[in-house]
Amino acid sequence: MATTTASVSISSTDLQPGNRLSINASNRLMKTGLTTGLELMEMGNASIPVGTEFSLAEALGTADSANWVYICNTSTDDTYNTEVVINETVLGYLNAGEWLWMPWNNGDAAAEIEVQAIGGTNTLEYAIFKSAWTLPTAS
Amino acid sequence: MATTTASISIGSDIMSYPVNINKTMTMKKLASCHGIEETSGLSNKKFTATTAVVLVLNTEGTAAKASKVYMRNTGSDKANFFYVSLNASAAASATAETIGRLHGGDWMLVPWAATAASHNIVVAPNTAEPMTIEWMVFVE
Repeated sequence: MATTTASVSISSTDLQPGNRLSINASNRLMKTGLTTGLELMEMGNASIPVGTEFSLAEALGTADSANWVYICNTSTDDTYNTEVVINETVLGYLNAGEWLWMPWNNGDAAAEIEVQAIGGTNTLEYAIFKSAWTLPTAS
Repeated sequence: MATTTASISIGSDIMSYPVNINKTMTMKKLASCHGIEETSGLSNKKFTATTAVVLVLNTEGTAAKASKVYMRNTGSDKANFFYVSLNASAAASATAETIGRLHGGDWMLVPWAATAASHNIVVAPNTAEPMTIEWMVFVE
């Protein structure tokens, strides 16, 4: 059984004057509702030019299951950002140097994760941890 | 200008070689070198029913900007979870766009566009057993 752990630390000394911010959390990635760890993953990096919406991850796993997504915009130009979309619904924007960590429901076949570059060609690195993974059928 | 940093560390033995991801970011305004300056503060809420609830209204953010949302299921039971979705109302599991599940101990940190009421952040527990979620919005 594989063991995957994700930890976060969020801090600021001046976001809340008089109240130093310090959040620390850690979780172990499990299969849906179970005590066994996730055993499937894919990693990669991508260069995405402006003007096209790209599919970063297709929802080819088991619907309504435990999956986790890490995406980091490794671009360095502050005017660049990447729009992150789930099934045509905009989640938010990753500025250069920013990352996200989120569960991914794989709710239906349309629940793919899409990315679109803004400002210039963005570079992304990503890792997706999955409960199940069905490869696309060969054409 | 405030400086807020978030660091992630992911370690895994899924592959035949160790996977280690470590990254620190400074939360910035959209397409800017300036840091985010506002926050909702850290909040938490205990649930004892499966009714879906709007946890964060889109009006707490600014449309199409680079706000961020942190959430964590503070429990430890992996059988119990919150659905988290972008939604105007109703059950997180069946309408609009479900992001995913936060089981006991799980956390997430995502960018948030706060575009319209359809981008309210809604949570729905899968059980009436007591369960608590904590969250914080970093607002542009």
